[in-house]
Amino acid sequence: MKAVITSIAVAIILALIFSLPALAQESGTITITMTGANEISISLDKTQWPLGNVASNTEHETSPPIEWCTLTIEGNCNVNTFIVGDDAEWVSDPGAYKWTLSSDGTNGEHIYGLWFRISGDTTRGPLGDGYVPVTKTESEFWPYSGGSGSSLAPGDTKQFGLRLLTPTYFVSGRQMQTQITISAVAA
Amino acid sequence: MIGRIKLAGLIAALLVIFLPSFTLAQDVNFGVSPAEVRINDLPPGEAAEFVLTIHNKDDVAHVFTFTASEPPEEETREGRARLPDDSWISFSSQEIELAAGSEANVTVTVAIPQEQKGAGQDWETWLGVTAESSDLLGVKLYVRLLVSTVGTRSNIGLVAGIAVAIVLLGYGGYYYFKRKAKPKYH
Repeated sequence: MKAVITSIAVAIILALIFSLPALAQESGTITITMTGANEISISLDKTQWPLGNVASNTEHETSPPIEWCTLTIEGNCNVNTFIVGDDAEWVSDPGAYKWTLSSDGTNGEHIYGLWFRISGDTTRGPLGDGYVPVTKTESEFWPYSGGSGSSLAPGDTKQFGLRLLTPTYFVSGRQMQTQITISAVAA
Repeated sequence: MIGRIKLAGLIAALLVIFLPSFTLAQDVNFGVSPAEVRINDLPPGEAAEFVLTIHNKDDVAHVFTFTASEPPEEETREGRARLPDDSWISFSSQEIELAAGSEANVTVTVAIPQEQKGAGQDWETWLGVTAESSDLLGVKLYVRLLVSTVGTRSNIGLVAGIAVAIVLLGYGGYYYFKRKAKPKYH
Protein backbone atom coordinates (compact mmCIF):
# COMPACT_ATOMS: atom_id res chain seq x y z
CA MET A 1 0.00 0.00 0.00
CA LYS A 2 2.85 2.27 0.93
CA ALA A 3 4.41 1.56 -2.46
CA VAL A 4 1.21 2.60 -4.27
CA ILE A 5 0.90 5.92 -2.45
CA THR A 6 4.59 6.71 -2.86
CA SER A 7 4.43 5.88 -6.59
CA ILE A 8 1.41 8.10 -7.23
CA ALA A 9 2.94 10.99 -5.25
CA VAL A 10 6.21 10.72 -7.19
CA ALA A 11 4.30 10.47 -10.47
CA ILE A 12 2.25 13.60 -9.75
CA ILE A 13 5.34 15.57 -8.69
CA LEU A 14 7.27 14.55 -11.80
CA ALA A 15 4.33 15.30 -14.11
CA LEU A 16 3.85 18.73 -12.55
CA ILE A 17 7.57 19.57 -12.75
CA PHE A 18 7.48 19.09 -16.52
CA SER A 19 4.02 20.57 -17.16
CA LEU A 20 4.05 23.70 -15.00
CA PRO A 21 6.31 25.71 -17.31
CA ALA A 22 3.96 24.94 -20.19
CA LEU A 23 0.89 25.89 -18.16
CA ALA A 24 2.54 29.10 -17.00
CA GLN A 25 3.17 30.02 -20.61
CA GLU A 26 -0.60 29.98 -21.26
CA SER A 27 -1.21 32.74 -18.76
CA GLY A 28 1.44 35.12 -20.11
CA THR A 29 1.16 38.88 -20.34
CA ILE A 30 -0.81 40.44 -23.16
CA THR A 31 1.46 42.71 -25.14
CA ILE A 32 0.16 45.59 -27.21
CA THR A 33 2.60 47.11 -29.66
CA MET A 34 1.91 50.36 -31.43
CA THR A 35 4.15 50.54 -34.44
CA GLY A 36 6.29 53.52 -33.46
CA ALA A 37 4.48 56.83 -33.35
CA ASN A 38 3.44 56.32 -36.92
CA GLU A 39 0.65 58.46 -38.21
CA ILE A 40 -1.29 57.62 -41.28
CA SER A 41 -2.57 60.64 -43.13
CA ILE A 42 -3.48 61.65 -46.65
CA SER A 43 -4.98 64.81 -48.08
CA LEU A 44 -6.96 65.73 -51.17
CA ASP A 45 -6.75 69.29 -52.50
CA LYS A 46 -10.15 69.11 -54.13
CA THR A 47 -13.31 67.34 -53.10
CA GLN A 48 -16.06 68.96 -55.18
CA TRP A 49 -17.08 68.66 -58.80
CA PRO A 50 -20.09 70.91 -59.46
CA LEU A 51 -21.29 69.66 -62.83
CA GLY A 52 -24.54 71.56 -63.19
CA ASN A 53 -27.13 70.20 -65.58
CA VAL A 54 -26.26 67.12 -67.54
CA ALA A 55 -27.89 65.31 -70.43
CA SER A 56 -28.42 61.60 -70.68
CA ASN A 57 -25.79 59.32 -72.12
CA THR A 58 -23.06 61.93 -72.11
CA GLU A 59 -19.49 61.90 -70.84
CA HIS A 60 -18.15 64.55 -68.51
CA GLU A 61 -14.52 64.91 -67.47
CA THR A 62 -12.97 66.93 -64.74
CA SER A 63 -10.85 69.84 -65.84
CA PRO A 64 -8.00 69.29 -66.22
CA PRO A 65 -8.93 65.70 -67.05
CA ILE A 66 -6.17 63.84 -65.24
CA GLU A 67 -4.55 66.45 -63.00
CA TRP A 68 -7.72 67.68 -61.38
CA CYS A 69 -7.09 66.55 -57.83
CA THR A 70 -3.85 65.96 -55.96
CA LEU A 71 -3.55 63.22 -53.37
CA THR A 72 -0.67 63.87 -50.95
CA ILE A 73 0.76 61.46 -48.40
CA GLU A 74 0.91 63.56 -45.23
CA GLY A 75 1.76 61.06 -42.49
CA ASN A 76 5.06 59.38 -41.72
CA CYS A 77 4.37 55.91 -43.06
CA ASN A 78 4.16 54.45 -46.52
CA VAL A 79 0.64 53.68 -47.66
CA ASN A 80 -1.37 51.68 -50.16
CA THR A 81 -4.45 53.48 -51.41
CA PHE A 82 -7.87 52.32 -52.61
CA ILE A 83 -10.96 53.82 -54.19
CA VAL A 84 -14.67 53.00 -53.93
CA GLY A 85 -17.80 54.66 -55.31
CA ASP A 86 -21.48 54.56 -54.51
CA ASP A 87 -24.89 55.09 -56.04
CA ALA A 88 -25.91 58.68 -56.75
CA GLU A 89 -28.95 59.67 -54.71
CA TRP A 90 -31.57 62.31 -55.15
CA VAL A 91 -30.59 65.08 -52.69
CA SER A 92 -34.19 65.96 -51.80
CA ASP A 93 -35.27 62.39 -51.04
CA PRO A 94 -32.30 59.97 -51.08
CA GLY A 95 -34.40 56.85 -50.58
CA ALA A 96 -36.85 57.65 -53.37
CA TYR A 97 -34.61 57.82 -56.42
CA LYS A 98 -31.05 56.94 -57.32
CA TRP A 99 -28.67 56.26 -60.14
CA THR A 100 -27.03 52.91 -59.63
CA LEU A 101 -23.25 52.91 -60.01
CA SER A 102 -22.23 50.54 -62.77
CA SER A 103 -19.86 47.71 -61.94
CA ASP A 104 -17.86 48.16 -65.15
CA GLY A 105 -18.02 51.85 -66.03
CA THR A 106 -20.82 51.45 -68.59
CA ASN A 107 -24.24 53.08 -68.34
CA GLY A 108 -27.87 52.09 -68.68
CA GLU A 109 -31.29 53.31 -67.63
CA HIS A 110 -30.79 54.93 -64.21
CA ILE A 111 -27.29 53.41 -64.24
CA TYR A 112 -24.25 55.64 -64.44
CA GLY A 113 -20.55 55.00 -64.95
CA LEU A 114 -17.63 56.54 -63.08
CA TRP A 115 -13.97 56.31 -64.04
CA PHE A 116 -10.70 57.64 -62.67
CA ARG A 117 -7.34 58.13 -64.32
CA ILE A 118 -4.06 58.79 -62.56
CA SER A 119 -1.65 61.16 -64.24
CA GLY A 120 1.07 59.15 -65.93
CA ASP A 121 -1.10 56.04 -66.25
CA THR A 122 -1.61 55.64 -69.97
CA THR A 123 -2.32 51.94 -70.38
CA ARG A 124 -4.18 50.94 -67.24
CA GLY A 125 -7.82 49.86 -67.26
CA PRO A 126 -10.07 47.69 -69.42
CA LEU A 127 -9.72 49.93 -72.47
CA GLY A 128 -6.00 50.38 -72.00
CA ASP A 129 -6.35 54.16 -71.99
CA GLY A 130 -5.50 54.71 -68.34
CA TYR A 131 -9.11 55.08 -67.20
CA VAL A 132 -10.29 52.60 -64.54
CA PRO A 133 -13.93 52.14 -63.48
CA VAL A 134 -14.86 53.23 -59.99
CA THR A 135 -17.22 50.62 -58.54
CA LYS A 136 -18.99 49.90 -55.28
CA THR A 137 -16.24 47.43 -54.40
CA GLU A 138 -13.14 48.97 -52.82
CA SER A 139 -10.35 48.46 -55.34
CA GLU A 140 -6.72 49.43 -55.81
CA PHE A 141 -5.97 53.09 -56.53
CA TRP A 142 -2.18 53.07 -56.09
CA PRO A 143 -0.21 50.87 -56.25
CA TYR A 144 -2.11 48.32 -58.30
CA SER A 145 -1.68 44.67 -59.30
CA GLY A 146 0.27 44.33 -62.52
CA GLY A 147 1.66 47.84 -62.23
CA SER A 148 5.25 48.68 -61.58
CA GLY A 149 4.48 51.28 -58.93
CA SER A 150 5.19 50.85 -55.25
CA SER A 151 3.58 52.08 -52.07
CA LEU A 152 3.36 55.83 -51.64
CA ALA A 153 5.89 57.37 -49.25
CA PRO A 154 5.43 60.48 -47.10
CA GLY A 155 5.52 63.54 -49.34
CA ASP A 156 4.56 61.61 -52.46
CA THR A 157 1.71 62.94 -54.56
CA LYS A 158 -0.61 61.47 -57.17
CA GLN A 159 -2.73 63.57 -59.48
CA PHE A 160 -5.88 62.14 -60.92
CA GLY A 161 -9.09 63.04 -62.72
CA LEU A 162 -12.61 61.65 -63.05
CA ARG A 163 -14.97 60.83 -65.87
CA LEU A 164 -18.75 60.56 -65.49
CA LEU A 165 -20.98 58.71 -67.95
CA THR A 166 -24.59 59.69 -67.32
CA PRO A 167 -27.44 57.14 -67.52
CA THR A 168 -29.06 56.47 -70.88
CA TYR A 169 -32.29 57.58 -69.24
CA PHE A 170 -33.03 59.23 -65.92
CA VAL A 171 -35.77 61.20 -64.21
CA SER A 172 -35.20 64.83 -64.95
CA GLY A 173 -35.08 67.85 -62.68
CA ARG A 174 -33.53 66.06 -59.75
CA GLN A 175 -30.32 67.09 -58.06
CA MET A 176 -28.15 64.02 -57.64
CA GLN A 177 -25.26 63.47 -55.25
CA THR A 178 -22.74 60.71 -54.76
CA GLN A 179 -19.48 60.08 -52.96
CA ILE A 180 -16.18 58.54 -53.93
CA THR A 181 -13.95 57.49 -51.06
CA ILE A 182 -10.18 57.36 -51.29
CA SER A 183 -8.77 55.21 -48.52
CA ALA A 184 -5.29 54.39 -47.27
CA VAL A 185 -3.64 51.77 -45.10
CA ALA A 186 -0.07 51.43 -43.88
CA ALA A 187 1.90 49.46 -46.46
CA MET B 1 -50.13 74.97 -86.06
CA ILE B 2 -51.08 72.07 -83.82
CA GLY B 3 -48.01 70.18 -85.12
CA ARG B 4 -45.74 73.10 -84.17
CA ILE B 5 -47.20 73.21 -80.66
CA LYS B 6 -46.63 69.43 -80.26
CA LEU B 7 -43.01 69.77 -81.47
CA ALA B 8 -42.36 72.68 -79.09
CA GLY B 9 -43.87 70.64 -76.24
CA LEU B 10 -41.67 67.64 -77.08
CA ILE B 11 -38.51 69.76 -77.15
CA ALA B 12 -39.44 71.30 -73.80
CA ALA B 13 -40.05 67.83 -72.36
CA LEU B 14 -36.67 66.57 -73.52
CA LEU B 15 -34.95 69.56 -72.00
CA VAL B 16 -36.63 68.93 -68.67
CA ILE B 17 -35.84 65.22 -68.75
CA PHE B 18 -32.16 65.87 -69.28
CA LEU B 19 -31.76 68.66 -66.79
CA PRO B 20 -31.01 67.10 -63.44
CA SER B 21 -27.96 68.61 -61.83
CA PHE B 22 -25.19 66.36 -60.63
CA THR B 23 -24.14 68.27 -57.58
CA LEU B 24 -20.95 66.93 -56.21
CA ALA B 25 -20.18 68.84 -53.11
CA GLN B 26 -12.91 71.42 -50.89
CA ASP B 27 -9.97 69.84 -49.44
CA VAL B 28 -9.77 67.23 -46.68
CA ASN B 29 -6.82 66.49 -44.40
CA PHE B 30 -6.66 64.43 -41.22
CA GLY B 31 -4.44 61.85 -39.60
CA VAL B 32 -4.73 58.82 -37.34
CA SER B 33 -2.06 57.33 -35.10
CA PRO B 34 -0.78 54.75 -34.66
CA ALA B 35 -1.01 53.37 -38.18
CA GLU B 36 -0.63 49.79 -36.96
CA VAL B 37 -1.42 48.05 -33.67
CA ARG B 38 -0.21 44.58 -32.73
CA ILE B 39 -1.78 42.68 -29.82
CA ASN B 40 0.04 39.50 -28.80
CA ASP B 41 -0.84 36.69 -26.39
CA LEU B 42 -4.47 37.67 -25.99
CA PRO B 43 -6.26 34.73 -24.33
CA PRO B 44 -9.73 33.91 -25.68
CA GLY B 45 -12.32 35.19 -23.21
CA GLU B 46 -10.26 38.27 -22.40
CA ALA B 47 -10.11 41.79 -23.77
CA ALA B 48 -7.41 44.32 -24.60
CA GLU B 49 -7.67 48.06 -25.04
CA PHE B 50 -5.65 50.69 -26.82
CA VAL B 51 -6.08 54.28 -27.93
CA LEU B 52 -6.31 55.82 -31.38
CA THR B 53 -5.60 59.52 -31.82
CA ILE B 54 -7.44 61.40 -34.56
CA HIS B 55 -5.98 64.72 -35.69
CA ASN B 56 -8.19 67.05 -37.69
CA LYS B 57 -5.67 69.02 -39.76
CA ASP B 58 -8.39 70.78 -41.73
CA ASP B 59 -9.46 74.37 -41.22
CA VAL B 60 -13.06 73.30 -40.66
CA ALA B 61 -14.66 71.00 -38.08
CA HIS B 62 -15.37 67.40 -39.08
CA VAL B 63 -17.34 64.52 -37.68
CA PHE B 64 -15.30 61.32 -37.71
CA THR B 65 -16.87 57.88 -37.65
CA PHE B 66 -15.27 54.55 -36.73
CA THR B 67 -15.79 51.11 -38.14
CA ALA B 68 -14.05 47.76 -38.13
CA SER B 69 -13.95 46.17 -41.54
CA GLU B 70 -12.64 43.07 -43.20
CA PRO B 71 -9.46 43.75 -45.19
CA PRO B 72 -9.03 42.44 -48.72
CA GLU B 73 -7.38 39.03 -48.40
CA GLU B 74 -4.48 39.99 -50.63
CA GLU B 75 -3.74 43.04 -48.46
CA THR B 76 -3.36 41.24 -45.12
CA ARG B 77 0.05 40.72 -43.53
CA GLU B 78 1.72 37.40 -44.29
CA GLY B 79 0.35 34.54 -42.21
CA ARG B 80 -2.68 36.50 -41.04
CA ALA B 81 -6.29 35.46 -41.45
CA ARG B 82 -9.12 37.94 -41.42
CA LEU B 83 -10.78 38.45 -38.01
CA PRO B 84 -13.87 36.19 -38.06
CA ASP B 85 -16.23 38.69 -36.47
CA ASP B 86 -15.99 42.48 -36.55
CA SER B 87 -18.35 42.66 -33.55
CA TRP B 88 -15.36 41.64 -31.37
CA ILE B 89 -14.10 45.20 -31.91
CA SER B 90 -15.78 48.14 -30.17
CA PHE B 91 -15.08 51.86 -29.97
CA SER B 92 -15.62 54.15 -26.97
CA SER B 93 -17.55 56.39 -29.37
CA GLN B 94 -18.97 55.57 -32.73
CA GLU B 95 -18.35 59.14 -33.86
CA ILE B 96 -16.68 62.32 -32.60
CA GLU B 97 -16.77 65.90 -33.76
CA LEU B 98 -13.41 67.61 -33.94
CA ALA B 99 -12.86 71.33 -34.31
CA ALA B 100 -10.40 72.59 -36.88
CA GLY B 101 -6.83 71.77 -35.94
CA SER B 102 -7.75 69.74 -32.88
CA GLU B 103 -7.23 66.09 -31.91
CA ALA B 104 -8.99 63.53 -29.77
CA ASN B 105 -8.57 59.97 -28.54
CA VAL B 106 -10.85 57.01 -29.04
CA THR B 107 -10.44 53.82 -27.04
CA VAL B 108 -10.68 50.59 -28.98
CA THR B 109 -11.53 47.34 -27.22
CA VAL B 110 -10.75 43.93 -28.67
CA ALA B 111 -12.70 41.15 -26.95
CA ILE B 112 -12.18 37.60 -28.15
CA PRO B 113 -14.90 35.14 -27.10
CA GLN B 114 -14.03 32.10 -24.98
CA GLU B 115 -14.03 29.60 -27.83
CA GLN B 116 -11.51 26.91 -28.63
CA LYS B 117 -11.39 28.03 -32.25
CA GLY B 118 -10.19 31.42 -31.02
CA ALA B 119 -7.00 29.98 -29.58
CA GLY B 120 -3.60 30.14 -31.24
CA GLN B 121 -4.76 32.40 -34.07
CA ASP B 122 -3.14 35.25 -35.97
CA TRP B 123 -5.80 37.63 -37.22
CA GLU B 124 -5.96 40.98 -38.95
CA THR B 125 -8.71 43.52 -39.25
CA TRP B 126 -8.80 47.15 -40.35
CA LEU B 127 -10.16 50.02 -38.25
CA GLY B 128 -11.63 52.64 -40.56
CA VAL B 129 -11.77 56.33 -39.64
CA THR B 130 -13.88 58.44 -41.98
CA ALA B 131 -14.37 62.18 -42.13
CA GLU B 132 -18.08 62.60 -42.76
CA SER B 133 -18.79 64.82 -45.73
CA SER B 134 -21.34 65.46 -48.42
CA ASP B 135 -18.62 66.31 -50.93
CA LEU B 136 -17.91 64.12 -53.90
CA LEU B 137 -14.54 63.00 -52.64
CA GLY B 138 -14.10 61.61 -49.16
CA VAL B 139 -11.15 60.14 -47.27
CA LYS B 140 -11.01 57.05 -45.10
CA LEU B 141 -7.92 55.97 -43.17
CA TYR B 142 -7.41 52.41 -42.04
CA VAL B 143 -5.40 51.34 -38.99
CA ARG B 144 -4.10 47.79 -39.24
CA LEU B 145 -4.99 45.77 -36.17
CA LEU B 146 -3.06 42.52 -35.77
CA VAL B 147 -4.33 40.22 -33.04
CA SER B 148 -2.61 37.02 -31.91
CA THR B 149 -4.26 34.79 -29.34
CA VAL B 150 -2.43 32.41 -27.01
CA GLY B 151 -2.51 28.73 -27.82
CA THR B 152 -4.89 27.58 -25.10
CA ARG B 153 -6.09 25.06 -27.62
CA SER B 154 -3.16 22.88 -26.52
CA ASN B 155 -4.49 22.81 -22.92
CA ILE B 156 -6.67 19.75 -23.52
CA GLY B 157 -3.70 17.87 -24.90
CA LEU B 158 -1.55 19.11 -22.06
CA VAL B 159 -4.03 17.96 -19.39
CA ALA B 160 -4.40 14.58 -21.13
CA GLY B 161 -0.62 14.32 -21.32
CA ILE B 162 -0.29 15.03 -17.60
CA ALA B 163 -2.91 12.39 -16.79
CA VAL B 164 -1.17 9.78 -18.94
CA ALA B 165 2.19 10.72 -17.41
CA ILE B 166 0.78 10.29 -13.90
CA VAL B 167 -0.66 6.87 -14.74
CA LEU B 168 2.51 5.64 -16.43
CA LEU B 169 4.82 7.01 -13.76
CA GLY B 170 2.50 5.63 -11.08
CA TYR B 171 2.57 2.15 -12.60
CA GLY B 172 6.30 2.31 -13.10
CA GLY B 173 6.88 3.49 -9.57
CA TYR B 174 4.52 0.88 -8.18
CA TYR B 175 6.31 -1.97 -9.88
CA TYR B 176 9.70 -0.49 -8.97
CA PHE B 177 8.86 -0.26 -5.29
CA LYS B 178 7.09 -3.64 -5.35
CA ARG B 179 10.12 -5.26 -6.91
CA LYS B 180 12.43 -3.49 -4.51
CA ALA B 181 10.31 -4.63 -1.55
CA LYS B 182 10.43 -8.32 -2.66
CA PRO B 183 12.79 -10.40 -0.55
CA LYS B 184 15.76 -11.60 -2.48
CA TYR B 185 16.51 -15.31 -2.42
CA HIS B 186 20.02 -16.44 -2.95
